[in-house]
Amino acid sequence: MAAGFKTAEPLEYHRSFLKENCRPDGRELGEFRATTLNIGSISTADGSALVKIGNTTVICGIKAELATPPTDAPNKGYIVPNVDLPPLCSSRFRPGPPGEQAQAASQFIADLIDSANIIQREDLCIESGKLSWVLYCDIMCLDYDGNLLDACVIALLAALENAQLPEVTINKETELAEVNPQKLHPLNVTKHPVGSSFAVFDNTIVIVDPTAEEESLSTATITVVTDEDERLCALHKPGGSGLSAEKLQDCISRAVTRHREVRKLIEEVLKSIKPQQ
Amino acid sequence: MPVDTRRVRAPEESQCPLLFVPLLPRGPLRTVAQPEKARVDGRQRSQVDVRPVFARCGLVTQAKGSAYMEAGKTKVLCAVYGPRESERKDDTDMKAGRLVCDFRYAPFSCPKRGTWIQGSEERDAAQALQEALRPGLCLHRYPRAQVEVNVLVLEHDGSVLAHAVTCASMALVDAGVEMYDLVLGCALRQDGDSYLLDPTLAEESGGHATQPEDNQGGVTVALLPSLGQVSGLHADGELRDESVSAAVRACMEGCHRLYPVVRRALVYAARRKAAPPGDSLET
Amino acid sequence: MHNARNAMEVESSSTCALREFGCEQSLLSRPDGSSSFIQGDTSVLAGVYGPADVKVSKEIHDRATLEVLIQPKVGMSGVRERAQEQCVRETCEAALLSSLHPRSSLSLVLQIIHDDGSLLSCCLNAACMALMDAGLPMGCLFCGVTCAIDRDGRIVTDPTMQQEKESRALMTFAIDSTERKVLMSTTKGSFSVNELQQCIAVSQRASEKIFQFYRDSVRRRYSKTL
Repeated sequence: MAAGFKTAEPLEYHRSFLKENCRPDGRELGEFRATTLNIGSISTADGSALVKIGNTTVICGIKAELATPPTDAPNKGYIVPNVDLPPLCSSRFRPGPPGEQAQAASQFIADLIDSANIIQREDLCIESGKLSWVLYCDIMCLDYDGNLLDACVIALLAALENAQLPEVTINKETELAEVNPQKLHPLNVTKHPVGSSFAVFDNTIVIVDPTAEEESLSTATITVVTDEDERLCALHKPGGSGLSAEKLQDCISRAVTRHREVRKLIEEVLKSIKPQQ
Repeated sequence: MPVDTRRVRAPEESQCPLLFVPLLPRGPLRTVAQPEKARVDGRQRSQVDVRPVFARCGLVTQAKGSAYMEAGKTKVLCAVYGPRESERKDDTDMKAGRLVCDFRYAPFSCPKRGTWIQGSEERDAAQALQEALRPGLCLHRYPRAQVEVNVLVLEHDGSVLAHAVTCASMALVDAGVEMYDLVLGCALRQDGDSYLLDPTLAEESGGHATQPEDNQGGVTVALLPSLGQVSGLHADGELRDESVSAAVRACMEGCHRLYPVVRRALVYAARRKAAPPGDSLET
Repeated sequence: MHNARNAMEVESSSTCALREFGCEQSLLSRPDGSSSFIQGDTSVLAGVYGPADVKVSKEIHDRATLEVLIQPKVGMSGVRERAQEQCVRETCEAALLSSLHPRSSLSLVLQIIHDDGSLLSCCLNAACMALMDAGLPMGCLFCGVTCAIDRDGRIVTDPTMQQEKESRALMTFAIDSTERKVLMSTTKGSFSVNELQQCIAVSQRASEKIFQFYRDSVRRRYSKTL
């Protein structure tokens, strides 16, 4: 009976749970799904992280390459983030070039890297005007069950903190770069933003960490990203129903506590893999 | 070159740092690896010595069926969707379903970063995968429908196609698609008079042991293990005829080594799915 | 440190000065609704087509399918435009009563004529005027306001390109006409919660002017024809 009700009237089904201040998967309205993190599992990447928020699984691999710095900023490097939603992760995505959602997510991550100042682009320059690093941050969703942006932000940050770049020197005689893969240096990650996403039901009820089904039934979604100084790095609400100032304030407060929880998780996992390296 | 407008812009040109590693320190490493001796990872040459395999079903919750496989450092994920309505209306087969395969390397899966755009190697692998899996499937049970197999290589450390075949067939079983038999894959690298089973990436592309270009090549075999039939065979390089038949036999033996591991993973997944835990599902 | 001069500036910014803005509707003959919106030197041309037939693959059984296309002044549209399209589309979807036109298509094309800052808010305003011109049923109107916080912490509404470049944080909001709630929000740079709330408050005040303008222009237009 319940299964039939769920299929025929999904919105009513969810409402009947929200009325009792809980959700079909047994969570409270302000409860995130279990978040797990695996860092450094891909040895071909310079840094990698696999994040699971409930069923949603996202993997981020960092590959560093060398290029000439941009002509308008000769003392800077590049960071190129891309989010991919392959048909493997959900039946809603078709094969082919990335769709609107994947592109919007890529842009969101690219903006966030600048806004939060996660990595100073100047740190990626090896020799001004000649050589700098390009950090390709490729983020792939392996299992799509909502709240993509939160998972992407955690995966990106953990992978950047895991990344090790080889030492590069420029040979004075030949003027050519020489890479020493034995000497590895971590990246200088200056800020550590964490995102929290919310969905709005019936223009009023706010739930955190929506699943794919909750996302599709909701009237709006919001992503709040905060850094360790409790400053906002992004307030991303791509439309949908309006939100009052009080509700927004609640979201921000929840995002601040979520930031602390996730930071603790990332630090614990990073610490646990340190001795092996 | 056309600019990819659907992705964040990258600099027009960038080089893999491995190209800038001075060649000197790499030289001795090559000469240390002597032929007829143990392989770099401790396995024996000319022995049916496969890497330890980890296999698990049902990791992608959104898919009808899925499987993840690790062999050494090679990591492959596969998700199966369908059978569902065929997308290409023009060539819907009224009698049998269509098997659609997609094969992709994650951009960070290889030593050198790959592009997002599907290359010819990936397309060839998808084709080979489709041809290897088809004989194992009862596609006539799904007229006018299509079954989609999506393979993603998360880390490439050799024998990718072989493991993709195994992983995909596990995902198909997990999805409940009717099959005649499992399809298992195994790869081999012939190096002169000796062979390396389940080669790593370094061994696949690695140096010549004896004289260069003498009996060098790769063989990948897909096997239906309980029927004992070969459903896919790929060979490249220059191989002597007796080495080819020996290689196929070694690969078949390698597949049989894999069989119990795969079966255990499938039984485990089936047990977990079945509602009463007491059900025995011996195959 | 924060002396009277600073207080004065907050005061002056709270008047939320917008650049001179204007709009022309029904200037194109082929689309079902069109508008051109100008804010200072920033200018966007919008055209709306529909309700019309929809491709089967994009059909939604209980409402209209809205597509938004943003064409940059030069070159091809890229990832940035796609993200902006998503923002405009979801804002329009919230305002439009699209369930009145199930299984049909609406498309909105925004051609950027010139970008001198506050582009996204200009796109939103042009979109709203074009939707009105097309006579599509809407639950509320909306407008876009961009705020920049400069190095001294002052809030500049409707910044020019130069002001955007010099700013420390940049936010664009879409405000609805009935309750002045935030429909859409996108930000760049980092800022405190307090700054965010100030910016929202300033944008809400600025939206009054734009809504008044909407009202006046509609009145002017229909007083002639009626």
